[in-house]
Amino acid sequence: MGVTAKGKRGSTLLLKSAGRPPWYTHDGKNIPAYMVGIAGGSASGKTSVAKRIFESLDVPWVVIVSMDSFYRQLTPEESTRAFENNHDFDHPSSTDYASAVRVLSDLKQGKATEIPQYDFVTHSPSSERQHVYGASVVIFEGIFALYNPELLKMMDIRIFVDTDSDICLARRLKRDITERDRDPLGILQQYERFVKPAYDGFVRPTMNNADVIIPRGLDNEIAIGLMIQHIQRQLDERNATLMRPKLVGQYSGACGLKDTLITLPQSNQVRAMQTILCDRSTPRDDFVFYADRLSRLVIEHGLGQLYLEKKSVETPMGMPYQGYELPWNVAGVTVLRAGGVMEKALRSVLRLAHYGKILIVGDPESHEPRLHYVKLPHAMDKHQVLLMDSTIVSGANAMMAIRICLDHGAREENIVFVSLLATPQGVYAIQAAFPQTRIVVAMLEPNIASDSLLIRSGYGLFGDRYFGTES
Amino acid sequence: MSAYEKVSQHSRFHLLPQTNQLKGLMTIIRDKKTKRGDFVFYSDRVIRLLVEEGLNYLPVVEKTVTTPMDVPFKGVAFEGRICGVSIMRAGESMEQGLRDVCTSVRIGKVLIQRDERTAQPKLYYSKLPNDIADRWVLLLDPMLATGGSAIKCVEVLQEAGVKEDRILFINLICAPEGALAMLERFPKLQIISAELDESIDEQKFILPGLGDFGDRYFGTDE
Repeated sequence: MGVTAKGKRGSTLLLKSAGRPPWYTHDGKNIPAYMVGIAGGSASGKTSVAKRIFESLDVPWVVIVSMDSFYRQLTPEESTRAFENNHDFDHPSSTDYASAVRVLSDLKQGKATEIPQYDFVTHSPSSERQHVYGASVVIFEGIFALYNPELLKMMDIRIFVDTDSDICLARRLKRDITERDRDPLGILQQYERFVKPAYDGFVRPTMNNADVIIPRGLDNEIAIGLMIQHIQRQLDERNATLMRPKLVGQYSGACGLKDTLITLPQSNQVRAMQTILCDRSTPRDDFVFYADRLSRLVIEHGLGQLYLEKKSVETPMGMPYQGYELPWNVAGVTVLRAGGVMEKALRSVLRLAHYGKILIVGDPESHEPRLHYVKLPHAMDKHQVLLMDSTIVSGANAMMAIRICLDHGAREENIVFVSLLATPQGVYAIQAAFPQTRIVVAMLEPNIASDSLLIRSGYGLFGDRYFGTES
Repeated sequence: MSAYEKVSQHSRFHLLPQTNQLKGLMTIIRDKKTKRGDFVFYSDRVIRLLVEEGLNYLPVVEKTVTTPMDVPFKGVAFEGRICGVSIMRAGESMEQGLRDVCTSVRIGKVLIQRDERTAQPKLYYSKLPNDIADRWVLLLDPMLATGGSAIKCVEVLQEAGVKEDRILFINLICAPEGALAMLERFPKLQIISAELDESIDEQKFILPGLGDFGDRYFGTDE
């Protein structure tokens, strides 16, 4: 239950063991997160069961959300009672279910969300919130986890941990004395007045909502083992197949690309710069110089796609000029590492953009994208997003990056994906999944190897050549 | 047909793509309330776009290279040597934009001022690269009003042996009168500009314009 020395409970745990594979289908739609509800009496071992589940599952990103996060704000009278250990925290009415529904529904849909934190020292919701994004499995645990019908509807499996009440009381005594420095008499009083009646009156009946009841909690290894097998099987069924062959396979030469693709005019300078970048004998100094120069042109072209408000000003000659106001709300999001090259170009033209970073690394064997890190500006829903990566090959990385922006609230029509080089296959896949996202590229390069799904022509490994990390 | 129409339809007059983003930049540098830091920053951004556009009028030759994946790529290579010539003092603001894309480019300078007795532009100073006759010239001056000093400058270049069809005149804002005078006087010269304005006033200032570019860029009006 994440008890800390400060008495804060309900801290949310997001556990990452490896990069996150695609959590959406090849058409860009999110697969809902798998949601597990775990209820049971106080100190019945819910948290231990929750932890055992995530340890056993072969899923890289799991989040455990505690119901303690959603204790509602107390009235002044309730608050006074709480400080005298006389408030009934074990009553169903002590939880803000609307807030819990909002947060869990965000997580279920794969959206980024903010989870409230409850401070047990002040007995009030803390001003801190925990940002959580990217869980493929969500475990929700608490004594009333199986109480609210809306929450029940979202869950894929509902578990009730049924531990003998003597054992629960013994654990509770031990925990409150050693970890919270409380006296045994007070704990027993609270147990008799609130905990026991609440369990009998409200918690135990929710057992009827459970799909699985686990007697004896964590000690029951057979029951837990069976349940984990069941969850793992359900997760395997919904696992997306390999993304890249599927994306590339959608395209045939006959398919037209839609006009959300905007190619930089192929002027003499642009073609000459591309030639230098494609040439394997180009020294690194020149490669970096022309990559920067071409990036700046593509970025300027991308910025030309943004929406600007009209603005009228007066010139020093005392005459009006009807122009436009440069937007304040540009978010530049780079797909590391190679997209960083373009961020430099954006920073040199736009002073007030907000910058986000996404690290996607190809799996060494399958080359499938894996998300390792994401940090985006606040209020993505109010931003025009310039998403930057040097190359679009199968479109798999670009799709993941667009999906992340959407999950954080960005609007599809406000995203402009900017790239130095793209294949028609990659562009087609992005357009099929995200028809409103505009794609600005310096060059459309048709040469993709059908066996390895790697680009055959083009700049080679752009990031390695730019940063000098070729093997 | 008005001078404005003649210029805007002229085959040797080239405007940058008139995007909202470009208009946004021009709005900042035309606004009389804009502080100098912003004026310089956003002028430099437009200048970079102008230089990139100007370089597109230079010739290239076909060239096939081998990519890192060992397949041929049919591309092009730059051809022809260039230099910049700035008309002092405002034109010097554009030199860095040229250097940013063509490192170690040679740059000549010309000072032309109005002779108070004749009211004609007069050459006071010029220092050009020795081999300028073999080069393409990017002629730099941010404002083209009547074209008086620019025309004088092109004459100086021609005397130094530069071929007229190798001169690209680059500026931020043009008045139709000046642009038309230059295009008609020099039938092979090209003009690349960010915006074409309405007219000039009696003091030969461009309208709506942006005031005195050199003063605002170098801070000599404060």
